[in-house]
Amino acid sequence: MKFYLVDHIQELAPPDRIVAVKNLTLAEEYLADHFPAYPVLPGVLMLEALVQTAAWLVRVATDFEKTLILLKEARNVRYGTFVRPGGRLVMEVTALDIGPDASRFKAIGLCDDKTAVQARLTLEHTNVADEDPAGPEIDASLRPFWRRRFALIGGPRALENGQPGA
Amino acid sequence: MALSRDEITEKVREALVDALGVDEDEVTPEARIGGDLGAESIDYLDIVFRLEKAFNIKIPRGDLFPDNILSSDEFVQDGKLTEKGLGELKARMPHADLSQFEQNPNVQDIADLFTVDMIVRYVESKLGGEEG
Amino acid sequence: MRWIWIDRFVEFDRGRRAAAVKCVSLAEEHLHDHVPGFPVHPPTLMIEGMAQTAGVLVGDVFDFKEKVVLAKVTRATFHRHVGPGDRLRFEAEVQGEVRHEGAAITGTITSNGDLVAEIELMFAHLDQSREPVEPGEGNFVFNEDFIRLLRMRQLRDLASNGPSPDA
Repeated sequence: MKFYLVDHIQELAPPDRIVAVKNLTLAEEYLADHFPAYPVLPGVLMLEALVQTAAWLVRVATDFEKTLILLKEARNVRYGTFVRPGGRLVMEVTALDIGPDASRFKAIGLCDDKTAVQARLTLEHTNVADEDPAGPEIDASLRPFWRRRFALIGGPRALENGQPGA
Repeated sequence: MALSRDEITEKVREALVDALGVDEDEVTPEARIGGDLGAESIDYLDIVFRLEKAFNIKIPRGDLFPDNILSSDEFVQDGKLTEKGLGELKARMPHADLSQFEQNPNVQDIADLFTVDMIVRYVESKLGGEEG
Repeated sequence: MRWIWIDRFVEFDRGRRAAAVKCVSLAEEHLHDHVPGFPVHPPTLMIEGMAQTAGVLVGDVFDFKEKVVLAKVTRATFHRHVGPGDRLRFEAEVQGEVRHEGAAITGTITSNGDLVAEIELMFAHLDQSREPVEPGEGNFVFNEDFIRLLRMRQLRDLASNGPSPDA
C-alpha cells in the first residue's frame, strides 16, 4: 500500500479551505484484513486522509516551507457511516489558524453526503534539519518532492480555479 | 465532603468539555447536550463514564439519558409519547423540566431535555441532594 | 501491507488493562512514503495500534462475540517521532467497565520508556450502533487470522501467568 490518502484536490482557497477526495478501491490490499468479507476504510485512515488534506493547505499557505507536517493532536474524532470499496471520501478542511510551526483545523469527511468522520486537528510543522544532522540534504530533496506530489493530485489546477475571476 | 451545586456544576462542565471538545463558556446551564454542544450517540456514553469517575457514582444504563422509552408501543404512538409514555419519562427523569415538552411530546424532542442543568440536578440527586 | 499494527501482547488483565508491543521496521512499506528519506511511523497508525490493543481487551469481555469497532478518538496527543528500530509499547486501560453499549479506554504509547503518545478512545458494538450491517458469517472484526496472529487464544494464559519476559 502507498501511504497517500489524498487522490485529488477539488477545491483550494488558501489559507482558509481545502476540499479533496480519497477513492477507495478493493485493490487496496490491507482491506483484506479490514475486514475479511466486509471491507471498509479503517477509521484511522479516514483520519489520516483529513490530516494529509490539511497538510496540503499548510504547504500551499506557507509556500512549502517546512518539509515535515505531522499530526500533533486530534480531538473529538467521531465516526459515522462506513466508506466501502467503490466509494469515495470527500474531505473538507477549514483552517482555524496556520502559523509557521503549527496549525489548527476543523475537518469533516463525507461519503455519499453522509458524515463518515469529523475531527479537530492540530498539526506541527518542522524540517528534518531540526532533528537530524543529515537534515538539510533530506529537506532539500523533500521540498521538490512535495511540489511534485502537489502537481500529481491536481493542486495547481485547483489553486488556479480558486483565484478570483478564474 | 459534600459538594455544593457550584462544585458539581464545575465538574460536570469539565466532563463535558473533555468529552465533547467544546469550550468552557459554551457549557451554560440551558445548553442542550445534543442540540447546542453537538453530542452524538457515542458521546452520551462518554459523558456517563466521565461523570461516574468524577463523582464516584454508578449510572445504570438509561438512568441519565433514557433511551429505551422509544422502543415500546405502549409509550410511543405516531412519533409522540402516550400518556403512559409521558408518565414513564417523568418517573425516569424526576430531575428534568418537562413542562414545555408535555405540551407537544414529540419523541424527537426528547433529546432537547438533556441540558447541562438536567445533568447537574441528576448528579445532585445521586449524591444526596445538596443545596447550593 | 497487513492491517495489524501491534505485534504481540505482553500483559493482559482481563477487562481492566493490557499491554502490547510493536517493532517498527524499514521492511514496512508505508515508512518509505512517510516520508522519503526520513521514515516516521505515522501518528494515525499508532492510534490504530492502541485501538487494536484496546479492542482485544474490550472484545474479550464478551468472549469476542460482539463486533467491537472504534467509535471515537476523544483525544490523541503525540510527543515524539518514532522510526525504524524503535519498539513501541501500547498500554490500554478500561475506564469504568466495559458495557454492552460500549467502552472507554485511556492509553499511553512509550518507546524505551519515553512517552510517545497519550490516547483516549471509545468503542461501540457494531450491531448496536452506526448503520445496519448486512448479515454475514460470524464476527468479521475478530476473525480467524487476527485471532491466530495475535495469539488471542493464549491471552487467558497471559492473564494468569503474568507479564511475559520481554514486557
